[in-house]
Amino acid sequence: MNYKRHLVIASALVVPVTVIAYFLIAISYKLPFQGSAEAVKIDVMMQAHFVLIAFLFSLVAVLMLYGLVVFRRREGDDGDGDHIHGNTTLEILWTVVPLILVIGFGIWGVNLLNELTDAEAKPNQLLVHVQGQRWSWNFSYPELGVNAPANERAMVREVDDPNDSNNIDLILPVNRPIVLEMVSIDVLHSFWVPEFRVKQDLVPGQTTYLRFTPTAVGNYKLGCAEICGGRHAYMMATVRVVSEACFDQLVVQQLPLAEADASCQYEAMPNYPDSAK
Amino acid sequence: MRQLRILFSLGIVWALIGQAAGAAAGLFLVRAIRAAANLPPSAEAELVIAAMFSVFGSLLFSGVLTDWLKWCVGIETPLRHGDPDGLPAWTRYFSVDYNHKVIGIQYGVTSIIVLLVGGILAIIFRLELSWPGEQFLTPESYNTIFSAHGIIMIASILLGVGAMVNYLVPMMIGASDMAFPRLNAFSYWIAIPSAILIMAGMVIGDGWETGWVGYPPLSTIDGSPLGTQLFILGFYFNGFSSIAGAINLLVTVMIMRAKGMSLWRMPIFVWAAIATSLIQFTATQTVGAAQLMVTTQRVLKLGFFDPTFSNGLGWPAGDPILYQHLFWFYSHPVVYVFVLPGLGIISELLPVYSRKPLFGYKWVALSSLGIALVGFLVWAHHMFTSGMADVLRIPFMLATLLVAIPTGVKFFSWVGTIWGGKVTFETPMLFVLGAISVFLIGGLTGPILGTIPTDLHLHDSYWVVGHFHATMFGGFVFPFFAAIYYWYPKITGHMYNERLGKIHFWLMTPGFWLMSLGQMQVGIWGMRRRIYDYDPALGIEFTHALITLSALIIGWSVLIMIYNLITSSRTERVAAINPWGSRSPEWQVPSPLPEFNYYRPFEVVGEPYDYGVPGSVYVRDVPAAGD
Ligand code: HEM
Ligand SMILES: [Cu+2]
Ligand SMILES: [Cu+2]
Repeated sequence: MNYKRHLVIASALVVPVTVIAYFLIAISYKLPFQGSAEAVKIDVMMQAHFVLIAFLFSLVAVLMLYGLVVFRRREGDDGDGDHIHGNTTLEILWTVVPLILVIGFGIWGVNLLNELTDAEAKPNQLLVHVQGQRWSWNFSYPELGVNAPANERAMVREVDDPNDSNNIDLILPVNRPIVLEMVSIDVLHSFWVPEFRVKQDLVPGQTTYLRFTPTAVGNYKLGCAEICGGRHAYMMATVRVVSEACFDQLVVQQLPLAEADASCQYEAMPNYPDSAK
Repeated sequence: MRQLRILFSLGIVWALIGQAAGAAAGLFLVRAIRAAANLPPSAEAELVIAAMFSVFGSLLFSGVLTDWLKWCVGIETPLRHGDPDGLPAWTRYFSVDYNHKVIGIQYGVTSIIVLLVGGILAIIFRLELSWPGEQFLTPESYNTIFSAHGIIMIASILLGVGAMVNYLVPMMIGASDMAFPRLNAFSYWIAIPSAILIMAGMVIGDGWETGWVGYPPLSTIDGSPLGTQLFILGFYFNGFSSIAGAINLLVTVMIMRAKGMSLWRMPIFVWAAIATSLIQFTATQTVGAAQLMVTTQRVLKLGFFDPTFSNGLGWPAGDPILYQHLFWFYSHPVVYVFVLPGLGIISELLPVYSRKPLFGYKWVALSSLGIALVGFLVWAHHMFTSGMADVLRIPFMLATLLVAIPTGVKFFSWVGTIWGGKVTFETPMLFVLGAISVFLIGGLTGPILGTIPTDLHLHDSYWVVGHFHATMFGGFVFPFFAAIYYWYPKITGHMYNERLGKIHFWLMTPGFWLMSLGQMQVGIWGMRRRIYDYDPALGIEFTHALITLSALIIGWSVLIMIYNLITSSRTERVAAINPWGSRSPEWQVPSPLPEFNYYRPFEVVGEPYDYGVPGSVYVRDVPAAGD
C-alpha cells in the first residue's frame, strides 16, 4: 500500500476543504455588529479561532473520510489490514504542533485580556452604577449625581407582567471609555450586550466591574445572562449609545426627550441587532 | 396469586415501597419533634429529613443492605448467585443481584429509561422554544423542565457509564466478577432513590429553577421553590453511587486481571475505565460537600454562600462564588467521566472494524490519564465572568487550552487506525464514526471558550449549549449506542436488526449535526442560555425551528433503537460466537456468557489488537494441570 501517495493526495485536499469550511463558518456564524472598541479586538481572535477550527476540522474530516473510502474492505476480501502499531514521530508531531498553537493562543489571550481589563483610569472615562435585581435593571451616574431617566420601553418586547417592564434605559455617550460598577441586591445576574462582546456577572455582596468603549450610536439590548429565576428571559433593558451632545442634554441636564434635539430622538438612531444581519 | 407473589419478590417494588415508607417516617419524625418542642411546622425541614429517610428506606427494603446488616450481628452469609429459586429467571434483573453482568444490564436499562424521561422533557421545552413568545409553558415550569432535563440526563449518563464499566471490565480482564459484588449492587441501588428524588423535585413544591448547576443565592434565597432541595439531595446521594462504583472498579482492575494481562496489554477500554474511576473517586466529594452546605444553608440558616449572613458572633459573611468553585471542581472533571468511557469504546471498536491494530496504543491509554489529570486543573474556566479573583483567570485559561492536546492525540490515533485497514460499516462502526464526527464538533468548539477574551462573548450563550451537547453526544451517547449494538449479541445471544440499526444511525447523526450547529449559531448571534423566550429581532426564529425539528428526529430515532433491541431478542436470528471477528476474550466463547464469565480461565499471550498477524491470538485457555 502506498501511504505516501495517499497522504499527499489527502493533504492536498485539506487545503481547499479548509477554505470552504472557513467560508461556511464565516457566513453562518457571522458575529453581531461591532458596537465597541473591544468587539473589534475580540473579533480578530474569534476569526483566528474560526480559521483554526476550519483547518482542524478539515484535517480530521478529510483524512478520516479519505481513509474510509480508500481503505474500505473490497468485496470478497476477508483478510486483515496492515500490521501497523503506531509511529512515534507522528505522535510527537501531533503533540508538539498543537502545543505550540495552544501556547500562541495562550499568550495572545493573556495580552488581550490584560488590555480589556486594564483598570487604570483613562482620561474622560465615565463611571456608571448598575444595579441588578429580579427582574430589572437600574442605572445611575455617581460622578454626575443623576439617575438614568425613565423612559417608555420602546425596544424591549411587550410582556404582560407589570413588574417586569424595565422602563429605565442605560444611556451612554459614544466613544468614551465606560466603567460599569455593578451590584446585585438578590441573586446572580450578568450584564451582556452582544454587540459589545464583553460580559460580567453581578454578584450579591460584591462589586464587579466591566469596561468597554461604545463606538457606534444606536439602540442596543442588554439581557441578563445568568439564570435568575422566573422572568430571567425578560430581564432586559435598552442601551442607548448617543452623541456627546445628546448625552449632555438627556443625562447631564435631564431634559425630557421631547425637548432634546431631533438627532437625539431614539427613533432616529439605528437599532441593533436588527441591522446586524 | 402467583403473579402477585412474583411482583412482591421484586427488589425494585420493595425499593419503591421502602422509599415511600422512609419518607413517611421522616415526615412523621420531624412533625413529632417540632410539635413536642412547640415549634411551628417547617416544610423545608420535613422535606429534607423525609428525603434522607426515603433513601435509607429504599436501600433497606430493596435488600441491598441485608448481607451487611447480618454481618454486623455476626451472621455469615454466602454470596448468593445464579437464577433465583422458584421464580422466573428474568426476575433477577428487577431485584438485588450481585452478578456484574446483571448489574451492568440493570444500569443500562435504567440509563435508557432515564434517558427517555430526560428526552421527553427536552422535546417539551424545545416545542416551547420553536417560536418566540409564550407557547404553552409558564416561565416557572419552563425553568423546572430545563433544569430537570439537565440533571436527569447527567444521571442517565452516569448510569450508562456504570453499565459499560460494570458489564465490560470484568469480562475483558478475565475476572469472574467485580472485587466487591455487594458494594457493586449498592452503587446501583442507591442511584435509584437518588434519581427518584430528582424527579420528585419537579412535581413536589413548585419544581426548581436553578439549572443543573444550582448556584446560590438562587438555590438558597428565601422563597426559592422546595423542589430545589429535592434536586440537591438527589444529586448528593447519587454521589455515593459514583464513589463506591469507582473504588470497586479500581480494585477489580488492580487485583483481578487474568494471567499475563500486564497494564500495556489491557483492552483500551479498561484504561478509559481506570481514568474515569480515578476522577469519580476523587472529585465527587467536593460537590457532595457543596450540596450539603446548600442544604444546611436552606434549613439551618448557616451562611456559607450568603453575603448578608451574620450571626452576631463575628463569623464572616458567606460568598456565593465559593459554591461555584466547589461545584466545578467536581463538575468539570465529571464531564470527562461522561466521555472517557465512550472514547474508550471508540478506540476499542475501531481496530475491530478496520482489521488493524489500534494506532499508538500507549499514547491513547496515556491520553486518557492525561485528560483526567489536566481535567482537575481547569474548573474555573466555567467562571471566567463570575467575578472570581482576577489572578485565577490566566492560569485557568492556560490549563484549559492544554486539554486540547491529549484530545487531539485521540483523534489522530483514530485516523491512524483506519488508514491501511480494511474497513467495514456495520451499525456499531457507523455509530463509532458518528461519534468521532460529533465529538470533533464538540472538541473544536471548546478552545474558543477557553480563551477568555472570546469567552466573554460566548459564556452563558447558546454556543456553550451547542458545545457541550456535541461533546456529550460524541463522547457518550453515540459510543454508548455503538456499544449496545456491538455487545448486543453477546448479551442476548441474538443479532439485532441491521437495517433498523442503519436507519437509526442515518436519522440521528445528521439530526444531531443540525441541532448542535444551530445551537451554536443562535448563541454567537446573541441568544442567552436558559431563557424561556427569545427576542425575534435576533433573527434566530428559523434556526430555532430547525433545532426543534432535529430534536424530534433524534427522539424518534432512539425509539427505533429501542424497538429494535426489544424485537430482536425475540427472533430466531441467533448470533454467531464471534460475529465481528474480534480478538477480545469475551468473543472467543459462546453467548451469552455463563454466570462467572469463563468456564476455564484464560491467559494473555499476545497483544490485544494484533490484527493482521497471521496465527496470533490475544488470549488462550490456561492449560489445565493434567493437559
Ligand atoms: C477541547 C477540549 C475542551 C475545551 C477547551 C473546553 C472548554 C470549555 C469551556 C471553557 C467551557 C465553559 C464555557 C462557558 O460556560 O463559558 C466549557 C463548557 C462545557 N464543556 Fe467543554 N471543553 C472541552 C471539551 C469538553 C468535553 C470533552 C466535554 C465533555 C462532556 C465538555 C463538556 C462541557 C460542558 C458540559 C460544559 C458546560 C457546563 C455548563 O455550563 O452547564 N467539554 N467547555
Ligand atoms: Cu437576572
Ligand atoms: Cu469544563
